[in-house]
Amino acid sequence: MTLLSIRNLEVHYGDLIGVADVSLDVAEGEVVALLGSNGAGKTTTLNAVAGLIPASGGSITFAGERIDGKPAYAVVSRRIGLSPEGWRLFVGQSVENNLMLGATPLADRSRAAPLLERVYAIFPRLAERRLQLAGTMSGGERQMLAVGRALMSDPRLLMLDEPSLGLAPATVEIMYETLERLHGEGLTILLAEQSVELALEFADRAYVLQVGRTVMSGTASDLADDPEVQKVYLGMG
Amino acid sequence: MKKLLWPGITAVLLLAYPLVFTTPFQQRLGALVLLYAIAASAWNIVGGYAGQISVGHVVFFGCGAYASLALFTHTGLPPVLGMPLGIAAAVGIAAIIGTPTLRLSGHYFSMATIAVAELARLVTTNTEFLGAAVGLSGPTVPRTWLDLSFISSVPYYYLFLAVLVITLGITWWMERSRIGFYLRAIRDSEKAARSLGARAPRVKLIAYLLSAGLTSVAGSLYALMFQFVDPESGLGILISVKMLIMAALGGAGLLFGPLVGAAILVPLEEISNSLLGGRGAGLTFVLYGAIIVLIARFRPDGILGLFQSARKAPEKHDA
Repeated sequence: MTLLSIRNLEVHYGDLIGVADVSLDVAEGEVVALLGSNGAGKTTTLNAVAGLIPASGGSITFAGERIDGKPAYAVVSRRIGLSPEGWRLFVGQSVENNLMLGATPLADRSRAAPLLERVYAIFPRLAERRLQLAGTMSGGERQMLAVGRALMSDPRLLMLDEPSLGLAPATVEIMYETLERLHGEGLTILLAEQSVELALEFADRAYVLQVGRTVMSGTASDLADDPEVQKVYLGMG
Repeated sequence: MKKLLWPGITAVLLLAYPLVFTTPFQQRLGALVLLYAIAASAWNIVGGYAGQISVGHVVFFGCGAYASLALFTHTGLPPVLGMPLGIAAAVGIAAIIGTPTLRLSGHYFSMATIAVAELARLVTTNTEFLGAAVGLSGPTVPRTWLDLSFISSVPYYYLFLAVLVITLGITWWMERSRIGFYLRAIRDSEKAARSLGARAPRVKLIAYLLSAGLTSVAGSLYALMFQFVDPESGLGILISVKMLIMAALGGAGLLFGPLVGAAILVPLEEISNSLLGGRGAGLTFVLYGAIIVLIARFRPDGILGLFQSARKAPEKHDA
């Protein structure tokens, strides 16, 4: 069943075009990767789904319901979690406060405590540092916190913007192992990733974005073998 | 117990001040410190906790001062009764200007607030009902005790102290409420807070309205003590700047920051005024400019920030 469906999405920043024509589908339980170089429109697409920036054209449908034009708080309460680019943590607050802020959209507050336990079980490092200020943590820990915070809203769809950016290779590996496990538990994931190799290894399917348009799509293994991907995407060949 | 030590010492010092320092100059100085501490604490709610640097808060100060004295001028009622009118006007104006301007971020918000404040000053200067450029005065001789007109500054001192305690109480309560929690999140990263479902515009507006109402109270208290307001003393941009600097110097976003800032700046200004007299009037601006530079360069988190840097992580909350 299709969980998220984007059709001909258009986003403008004033006169600038952020995204010109993006269409994609994410099925329930699937991992989908958005590939593309800087400025291709990956972050813009994720932010538009999250309701952080308004779409100027096209449609975004989640679980059979149009969500484009809905404000961010309405989108996130439909259980779409975003771990934003650059983490955007509340650096002056403790790890635990950051996580609890992630529970904002929960209608039933009593669910926050078990979710917190779950996030601590997924990222034991965060449990060790629960009273530490977010701004004093390493890059890998910050990434864990950003993902953990998104998980606090108990999302059906988890969107990750560049989960490997700026992290040490060993940390990236731990991150992806964790994501793999969450996927195994049935979580649907849409991620933007610059590291093609990593993304194609992890994802079921992928879309390639180029100057704000979806130019190619396919299963991860097909794309990984396709020389065209290397050309469009890495500018090789 | 340790948590109550500093607030306790501060309370004792504040209560005892007029008994220890008995000259009229010192007592007036004490009252002024408290008055500005109220205004700066009110500013702190939106400027410090929410991180929305308003440079137009004098509009709300003016609401309070003008409501009190306009009520007296036109109806003869005691100025203190104008206080609720001032609060209503301030909250109303804040709702009107806050809804569009709080969508602006960073210095664009600051610039918009300056524009609104200057507009208010110019309109008032040309409004006969509000005394135009001449200003409005309070009762020349007190008619009843309700006029709250005293020769000594001591009654004002204790009145202002009571209002300051209420203001800080409200701030303290807000700091611990869900709203305060979101305000700090918005200050750290508005986009992240929004992506988590915090209704940032609404939370900021609530803080702005609360801050405006309390600033208006400070304006009314000013009118009670000085019995006079004109466009410069009630709506001049320097008052906005003072609120901002006092909060920033003491520690913006900290409960007692504005009080510390006021306790340093008000005496400094009074002393420099009395030393320099009329010739040095413009030097106050120079002084403020220098302080802004020094804070920005050396202590962006204010004087109290020095003591707070070793502070423990915030305690577990109950969301």
